[in-house]
Amino acid sequence: MAKWSRTLGLLLSLMMLVAGCGSSQPSGGGGEPAGSGGPQSPPTSGTQPQPPATPAPSGRTTLQMWIMPNTTQSEQDMVALLQPFMAEHNVDVQVTVIDWSSAWTRITAAATSGEGPDLLQLGTTWVPAIAAMGALEPLGGKVAEIGGADAFYPASWNTVSIAGDSEVYAVPWFVDVRAAYYRTDVFQKAGVDPQEAFRDWESFKAALHQINGTEIEGRPVAAIGFPGKNDWNVAHNVMPWVWGAGGSELSADLRSSAINSEAALEGVMFYTGLVREGLVPPGVLEKNTSDAEMAFHTGEFAVFFNGPWMVSQYTRPESENGHADKIAAKNYAVAPIPEGPEGRYTFFGGSNLAIFNTSRNKELSWELLKFLVGKEAQMAYGEMAGMLPALRSLEPDMVALNPNFGPFYEAARYGRSYASIPQWGPVETAYTKHFSTIWDLTAGVSGTYSREAVKQVLDEAAREANSLLNQ
Amino acid sequence: MPAPVMNSGPADRAPAAAGLGRRFTGFGTHRSRPHRPAGDWRTNRLAYAMVAPAFLFMVMVHLVPMLQGVAMSFLQLNQFTLRQFLGAPFVGLANYRAILFDPENPVRAGLAVAARNTAIFSTVVTVLVLATALGVALLMNRNFRGRALVRTLMLLPWVVPSYVVGILWSYMWHRDTGIINRILVDWLHLLPEKPFWLMGPNTLWAIILPTVWRAWPYVFIVFLAALQTIPGDLYEAAAIDGAGPWQRFRHITLPMLRPAIAIQLLFQIIQSVYAFNIVVMMFGNGSGYAGEWGDLLMIAIQRQSFQSWLFGYGAAASVLLMLAMMGVVALWYRIFRQELIIR
Repeated sequence: MAKWSRTLGLLLSLMMLVAGCGSSQPSGGGGEPAGSGGPQSPPTSGTQPQPPATPAPSGRTTLQMWIMPNTTQSEQDMVALLQPFMAEHNVDVQVTVIDWSSAWTRITAAATSGEGPDLLQLGTTWVPAIAAMGALEPLGGKVAEIGGADAFYPASWNTVSIAGDSEVYAVPWFVDVRAAYYRTDVFQKAGVDPQEAFRDWESFKAALHQINGTEIEGRPVAAIGFPGKNDWNVAHNVMPWVWGAGGSELSADLRSSAINSEAALEGVMFYTGLVREGLVPPGVLEKNTSDAEMAFHTGEFAVFFNGPWMVSQYTRPESENGHADKIAAKNYAVAPIPEGPEGRYTFFGGSNLAIFNTSRNKELSWELLKFLVGKEAQMAYGEMAGMLPALRSLEPDMVALNPNFGPFYEAARYGRSYASIPQWGPVETAYTKHFSTIWDLTAGVSGTYSREAVKQVLDEAAREANSLLNQ
Repeated sequence: MPAPVMNSGPADRAPAAAGLGRRFTGFGTHRSRPHRPAGDWRTNRLAYAMVAPAFLFMVMVHLVPMLQGVAMSFLQLNQFTLRQFLGAPFVGLANYRAILFDPENPVRAGLAVAARNTAIFSTVVTVLVLATALGVALLMNRNFRGRALVRTLMLLPWVVPSYVVGILWSYMWHRDTGIINRILVDWLHLLPEKPFWLMGPNTLWAIILPTVWRAWPYVFIVFLAALQTIPGDLYEAAAIDGAGPWQRFRHITLPMLRPAIAIQLLFQIIQSVYAFNIVVMMFGNGSGYAGEWGDLLMIAIQRQSFQSWLFGYGAAASVLLMLAMMGVVALWYRIFRQELIIR
């Protein structure tokens, strides 16, 4: 017995030594890009970029391309997508997948040193910052070849330049826009008309009260759920309510913060008020978006604001990383975000493609970019990534594919992107931090929730943002 | 990569900074050796030659980036000047002044909260880690069946990568579905209702416990090794003289363990002050804000540098933290220097 356990112990120790050697990697730089409108799932294991997919045989030109994990098998999916392009142009494309959490650091380092890829993916809100660093190739003279501004949604096109500068530094690739997923069975059982429910804020709140606690299969379903502060969407979740109330993230001249305006306060109070009125199961407030998604899939609450990727997930079985077997998949529909007193708005983000101006193959990179915003590649990649293709002309095809994409296209029209200024990233970080404090107030875990208390936090957010804008 | 001050491994750097690299003798070696005159270059030639490559490497990966970080702290280095890097406008001590004295500077408010949390966090983590490790090491330092297996199993938390620890514990802390509230409230009825752990003041506990959980096994193994070097006849002699268990612990075990405790104390302080991974993974995978009771210095500095792109402020804060840590190391050295000298 003793001998046996000693042998086993030794074996275990050896295993641990081996495991321990590879265990202490730091998790790299910080987090989800501010406002990338980024991925639907949290960054997975580690942040090391994966090695390039295809080693370049000598003689052929090789393009370097950096992307973020947009699909479940990001690298293979992209390489497969690019096969026709590589064959046609007799070129190799080395795809490097960078995790969202380290992407910003890697891209700024590349922009600073000049050692970067030819073509790269940028979260929509990163474009002005990287462009202001002088790292992106101006594309204004060429965009007519892909249809120019008219080929894309206005909120998308808003993110390809720096506010106040007409030059174009990127091209929209795919779109992340938010709408309301809701449970048809819950609405039906509670006798609530969805059309009426998502009309405006008033009718929305009334409907939520009506459906709250409706029992499905003997289990009460809460009205609505959304993540609070431990998330990468903190600002994206709050801002549509600020916009709906007539508020804005920045003043009209984009020089100072407007997050502490009366209207902004109104929006924040309405959104957090849903929690205070008992319509949100409190536990969801500490979850991140992907945990909250899972809670909606399994029927914890009946309304959930999210991006288009869940439509694709609801068509795929679990073996393909889908959720077709979950209760929500069989009983859901998508509705617009309810209209606020000052209009209907939703978060509009996504990713753009840009060419580094240190690229030695700018012409070829432009061809690659053109290929990626071409109809076929757009359709195929949008489907794989669960995002909307940026090309407007594909709307009918996507809606034909799944009618639940319809409300997202509608959302793309009333969606709003953040002010396209180089300092937006830092400002969003400041807002995120203070919105987190508001979530703590709302959940009742620190301080006392009141209009004055929330206003005070928003004042601090504005102060911090102003000092960032004035540097 | 910019802002290297915070990247170079502090655990390696700090002891060397206090100049004890050449005197540290390892754990519990108290036997005297023939004294050799210091600076005998010839006798030690081979040794110096063997150390040289490692020394040069350390200079390259630690000292150079560190000096670069110090240089950055005197620059107005933000997103607009990042491309000029070390050529960014020189602002002297302005970054330091803003962090230390400018009440209008929002960076400062964030850092003060983070510094308070880091102080509490480091103290509690260090005490808990050392106490747990010592207690378990004493228990394990006896003969019983399956000891090797139990000892090995206890090392398990230590081999879990720290970011995985962060993710795992974030699930365990969830208010409604997490195992911790289930145990505390549903099974043991210790609390009347389920508290939030990942929001509000409880976040401090939510980050302390996983850190302790992952850190103690390593310290435990070191203590156990040190315990086993204590000659058994010391205890026998003491027992014959009528010393009870407490007296034997107090007058034999503890003094013999002092060198090991001293080293582990230093390592734990350094590691917990520079804690990052677990906390980052628990709150929105680095994009969230851990809150007024969860934000730590390294995370605040990282946010200033890489999310707000205020690299100058970030570097200045890093340098201040490094100086403070050098003070801690110097104090530690004063207290424990006797333990570290070969007699």
